[in-house]
Amino acid sequence: MPITGVYFIPAHPNASTALGNITERLRSSFPDEDLIQLGRWTLEQKLMRDTPGLLPASSGPNQRPSKPRYMQFLSLSHYHNHGFIYTSEPAEQPFNIPNASSPSPAATPVAPGSANDSTTTSNTSSMLMTTVPHSSYTTLFQHFTYACQPFWCHRLTVVVQNGVFYDIGDFRVRLGDVRQTYPTNRVRGTVVEIEWRGPSVIDSLDGAVVSDVNGETDSGVDVSLSVLEESDVDAEFAATALLIREFWGRVGVEGAREANLVPGIGSEVKERLVKIKGARNNRGGLSGSAEDNPDPQAGADVARQYMEVLRFNR
Amino acid sequence: MHELLLFASVPIHQHAELLQQLAGLTAMQPRHCYERRLIFKAYRKPGVANARVGASQDLQSGDLQRVNKMLNGGMFYTQVVGPIQSTDFADPSVTATANANPDPNPNASPLDPDTDTKMDGMDSDSNIPRSAYDFDQQSWQLEFRDIPEAGTRSAVTSRVMATAALPRGDIVPSMNAWGYSFVTEYLVEGDMFIHNDIVINLHRVLHYPTIPGEETQPRHQIPALQQMAPLEKSGSYVLQASMTVHDGSNQETMKTASQHLFGLREQLKSAVRLEMADRLSLDTRVK
Repeated sequence: MPITGVYFIPAHPNASTALGNITERLRSSFPDEDLIQLGRWTLEQKLMRDTPGLLPASSGPNQRPSKPRYMQFLSLSHYHNHGFIYTSEPAEQPFNIPNASSPSPAATPVAPGSANDSTTTSNTSSMLMTTVPHSSYTTLFQHFTYACQPFWCHRLTVVVQNGVFYDIGDFRVRLGDVRQTYPTNRVRGTVVEIEWRGPSVIDSLDGAVVSDVNGETDSGVDVSLSVLEESDVDAEFAATALLIREFWGRVGVEGAREANLVPGIGSEVKERLVKIKGARNNRGGLSGSAEDNPDPQAGADVARQYMEVLRFNR
Repeated sequence: MHELLLFASVPIHQHAELLQQLAGLTAMQPRHCYERRLIFKAYRKPGVANARVGASQDLQSGDLQRVNKMLNGGMFYTQVVGPIQSTDFADPSVTATANANPDPNPNASPLDPDTDTKMDGMDSDSNIPRSAYDFDQQSWQLEFRDIPEAGTRSAVTSRVMATAALPRGDIVPSMNAWGYSFVTEYLVEGDMFIHNDIVINLHRVLHYPTIPGEETQPRHQIPALQQMAPLEKSGSYVLQASMTVHDGSNQETMKTASQHLFGLREQLKSAVRLEMADRLSLDTRVK
């Protein structure tokens, strides 16, 4: 999983976006690089909010300034195997129903310490990342709009339709105009994703998992991983974030909203680290991964960053 | 998507015979399957529904009305379904608790001797039978079924449905965040046939043996199949013939689909009586 940073430059509804300006700055800031467009990319984000939170504050008899809850659906063309769903953690524990049949209403546990596959809870993040197969992405969204109206309300859809990307040195830069398509058409701004493609410890983790699944047991990578700790992962993310910030600093576009070390970033990587280490002690833990999607969690970090900058209030 | 259904009740003594008849009709061997079914219930903060807005002086009254309408919209139970293998059931022969059925079923216990010895060692700290079942690798899909449509002229059950694959492993944190709380789970055992565009299921519901404190989250281990008790005490089965229609608003396809189901009903007439279900017995709304 590459390390990325995402920047968003808002634009006024009827003004032109910063896209041309950024492209120009990229060109002038890195004169030694050929700015060749390598391809296109797209993005779609659907933002849902908790329906009760939409009532005007004055109307509630009990003046509870409840924290808004969000559910964001994101799909990226560079991770086309799956979609991302990023949801606010439940404000309170889901209460069980006062039915006679329902047992012990107090204890509905949330992830009792068992970090697992594709759902990720993090101590630092109040949002929960779930990756779902791409076929489920639309179905789930439709399900929530159809069957969950009392608690989820579709507020916005924004898309990047004609994004472009360039390779500049050790970085890949994705650029695109963000356009709102629901409820009304309007321009929202420009989004820039900067991906570090230089050497990284995190990449060796990816390799380790692949070799493990294939049943090749002892690779050289495996050994080096035994010294890798969670703090190393954090340090790696922090160091790369600095590189990305420096890069963005060189481009020098003002007024950007940054999503770099967002809460919960890297938790999939850490989870994987734990899993790889566990797998060494207990072989066979990673069996049964014969799926068409080789890495169902890929891109969760960049998805977090996108959703952080694209969570518009209105 | 829509689903069209017909049901029949099959007493236990007729089960084996009907399996053969269905195998003959569909020209395929029955596909035996087990499914874990987790029931989730939509929830929301208490009291919010009562925060009825009176004559608000706010401008966007249209918007407000819409929100109020949404707040009073329907909420549903929904199921999360995970297929399991017969090898996922615990082996009753390695546990002290499974003395009800001492004969080891070869189908339910294909554990290799290596695993057996490991399990024996674990008996000291727990009596729960274990298998190679790995909860973290369990695949799931969300199965939403609306209450069947009312007032249809046709003699088939028809309802809105949605099925979506979910990530593997512990699905409860995601479901909680999405607004669903875990209620309970059960197991479905049965055989499946495909007849042209109709899926035929001959199945029954099994209950887990109750272990105190296990009801608040999905089980991480599956007990031995012999410990499961059928919901219907007599052990009878339900025959379900279902068809999926992509575009439920298209009257033509809906009509064709019903006619195919009626065709099957005619073919099976001498064996079972397929009919539509009582609408309220399939009510999934949260009240």
